Amino acid sequence: MSLRNTYQGLLLGLLLLTLGVINGHAQMVNDSIQSDTIMVDTPQAEEEPANAISTYAQGLMDRFDTSPLLVTILYIVIFYSIVTMTALLIIILLNRRRLEREEKVKGFLLEKYQNLLMDYLFEEEKKEDAYRELEWVAHSRLNRQILIDQMIDLSVNLKGEIKEVIQGLYLRLGLKRDSLEKAYSRKWHQNVKGFRELAYMDIRDANEQIIKSLNSSNSILRMEAQIAMVRLSDGNPYEFLDLLEKPLSLWEQVTLHEMQIQHNLEVPDFKQWFSSENITVVMFALEMVAWYKQRGVGKEILELFEHENEMVRNKSYKVCGEIGLKMALPAMVGKYPDEIFKNKLEILIAFTKVPEEKYLKFLKNVLDTEEDVQLQIEATKAMENTGEPGISMLIKLMKSKSEYKNYQIIIRHVLDGRIY
Amino acid sequence: MDRAYEILKFFVLNAVFIITALIFTTYLVLTIFSAVTLRKYLRKNSYVDYNSIVASPLAPSLSVIAPAFNESETIIDNIRTLLSLYYNNYEVVVINDGSTDDSLEKIIEAYELEKVNYYFDYRLPCKRIRGVYKSKNRSFKKLTVIDKSNGGKADSLNAGLNVCRNELVVSIDADSIMESDALLKLVKPFMEAKEKPVIGAGGVIRIANSCEIADGHIQKINLPKKFLPRAQVMEYTRAFLMGRMAWSELDGLLLISGALGMFDREIVIKAGGYSTNTVGEDMELVVRIRRYMTDNGLDYDVVYIPDPLCWTEVPSSIKVLARQRSRWTRGTMETLYTHRGLFFNGKYGKLGILGYPYWLAFEYLAPIVEFLGICWFVYLVITSSLNWPFFLLLFGFVYFFAVSLSIWSVLFEEITFHKYEKRRDVLRLVGTAFLEPLFYHPMVMLMTIKGNIDKILARNKWGKMERKGFGKN
Repeated sequence: MSLRNTYQGLLLGLLLLTLGVINGHAQMVNDSIQSDTIMVDTPQAEEEPANAISTYAQGLMDRFDTSPLLVTILYIVIFYSIVTMTALLIIILLNRRRLEREEKVKGFLLEKYQNLLMDYLFEEEKKEDAYRELEWVAHSRLNRQILIDQMIDLSVNLKGEIKEVIQGLYLRLGLKRDSLEKAYSRKWHQNVKGFRELAYMDIRDANEQIIKSLNSSNSILRMEAQIAMVRLSDGNPYEFLDLLEKPLSLWEQVTLHEMQIQHNLEVPDFKQWFSSENITVVMFALEMVAWYKQRGVGKEILELFEHENEMVRNKSYKVCGEIGLKMALPAMVGKYPDEIFKNKLEILIAFTKVPEEKYLKFLKNVLDTEEDVQLQIEATKAMENTGEPGISMLIKLMKSKSEYKNYQIIIRHVLDGRIY
Repeated sequence: MDRAYEILKFFVLNAVFIITALIFTTYLVLTIFSAVTLRKYLRKNSYVDYNSIVASPLAPSLSVIAPAFNESETIIDNIRTLLSLYYNNYEVVVINDGSTDDSLEKIIEAYELEKVNYYFDYRLPCKRIRGVYKSKNRSFKKLTVIDKSNGGKADSLNAGLNVCRNELVVSIDADSIMESDALLKLVKPFMEAKEKPVIGAGGVIRIANSCEIADGHIQKINLPKKFLPRAQVMEYTRAFLMGRMAWSELDGLLLISGALGMFDREIVIKAGGYSTNTVGEDMELVVRIRRYMTDNGLDYDVVYIPDPLCWTEVPSSIKVLARQRSRWTRGTMETLYTHRGLFFNGKYGKLGILGYPYWLAFEYLAPIVEFLGICWFVYLVITSSLNWPFFLLLFGFVYFFAVSLSIWSVLFEEITFHKYEKRRDVLRLVGTAFLEPLFYHPMVMLMTIKGNIDKILARNKWGKMERKGFGKN
């Protein structure tokens, strides 16, 4: 009997006990009501149960000198606590045994299937024998699941023809049906498994279901659907971004980006999503433009400087620095005074990455007027990065004894090569 | 009138029972909540691939802040552990809080440090920072060491907040051992946040006594051999897997353990940083940042992760345990008093309506009520007026219910993280559940009472932990 059944059995046992106690009470109440009814005709017959209750109550009263109801409640709680403790202890021990057994069986099966798969993939003369054995083991659902997991693990590390052979075997063994069943299941965790398996095996039969899940309220399912769509779409792996209504969290963005790198997927022109109504999609597109150094975005970036969302503006300043967009520098100088702290910092960081002598005056002004340490440091760094003119300006500032600001301490920090 | 009198008499006579029943009912509800939440979390987490953010340049930058005071024995190994966590984008800021031993000298030597011209602002008040050190060796470029005058843990954390630069900060005890993937797990809720930003996250702290430790990493997990730390394992398992899990789901979490927590740096600074006026700065900070957000009309989340993220050594002597519990009690009292405005205050939502009253009634007042109950019991015994049968019945009720709750928590541990691999360890833990209410709990209750007395008498010492050092247990 599996643990699940044992657990359910025990719970059922507890439930029956509860029902038994309630029923017992109900019976007692019923008895007393019935006795009340009968009392008129047969007073002697009624007296017995009523007496039993009152004798029980009197007994408790004599023994505990307190409310019989309270004593009964305490008795019930003690009884339930002891039963629960025993039941839990049994569950703990059975669970341990199950885990140990499962681990052993799984280890054994994994090794066996791995060997069979290796024979099928790489040993031509053993191929058909391996297939027959795999077909035989694929009769049980659990075995099929272990087999699918094993195939996915293998396909992650393989490319080209061999990967296609695995996909062929997956279809030949009829495992696709299992994955599709999971993809269309009502349970979200089954959907996740199904989507993952279909994506790895490059099967598009459930794309419609996957697209539906792109806007699911369950974040894990949504992310799995996104990943599956990236892997299963032809041409533009990110076309699902057009369908996305829910925010694309940073976690999802990182996962997508890592998958892009890992699987060397086609990189689209990300500026196409700059006009998306989904702010998080715009931010992701900006992040990708910066990462892939997609430089032909000057005009669109300048438009995003006027975006109402401060985080979008923040990312667009960042992109300018990352891709070295010199044409955006005058606009950033214009935006600087009215920006929030985070965005001011990002503008200055952009200036450190795109150093230009003609903005030294602007940077010196920032250094003079800003009180925040980080802004001062970034402005100084930007000045230093302009090379000779900036450094000589900083040295001059260090030598000057300004009562207004201690430039020395700021400039020393920036020029200290040990501070990374 | 007579009936009202009878009802009143019933309540007065049974007050202890009613309070106990109320506490147990609350615990039962919390257990159910945590069971549901744990199941949900584990199922979701089984599909999460943390590897995708290990090396990602897009993941947020973190600053790990670790205050250290006289930890010369363990500091080198502990810094090594901190420098080898699975995360790409982080710095480690160690604060030497005016140690009187050779901690700083050892760190300087081991990590080839030099004093640098570090420019920072005292945005949060803290004792004088004597110097900031960085390594000549680029392999240790993640490390920054602050040397400052002694000011206590909260003061050191504030110094770290002043010096560090990243948006998210992780505060840890330098003598704790972090799981290698702790940062990945802690940062996830911040990265998943959508409508509401996450401002704080904490995780499960586990007990490292008797575990085998090498190179700053847990090699083999063992249940503590001594009863005292083992009883604390039971206590921590209950508190972390049942209590905090449920409170997180109920949005009433008041505490992220000082041993490990991740926070939004800017929010912490705006809310005023760690308070140096309390010995319970971890709890006080969480309450204050939550109040700050509500007072400013900002949405937020404080998240709790049931994964074991950090290992710490707990007191193995009664003397040290007493000092620790006295400090915890004083910290609770100070936080509850400072933030008394939360009490049943609807403006703060579940925090004011549920979280605060729960802490006041069950975490703070319950031991006092229990102590008064014991005093009353002693009085009744002396005057020979004790109703022994009823007392034994009441005792049986409390004892068996408490043990069954503890065994629930052992089950939670078994079906979730399954950290104790040996069957014998689990059976010993169950055995501890039977002994704990008889020996450990009364002791802790008395220590809590002592904490109250210490607070009233203004004995506000932090108390020395006297760690044996990992691997020397």
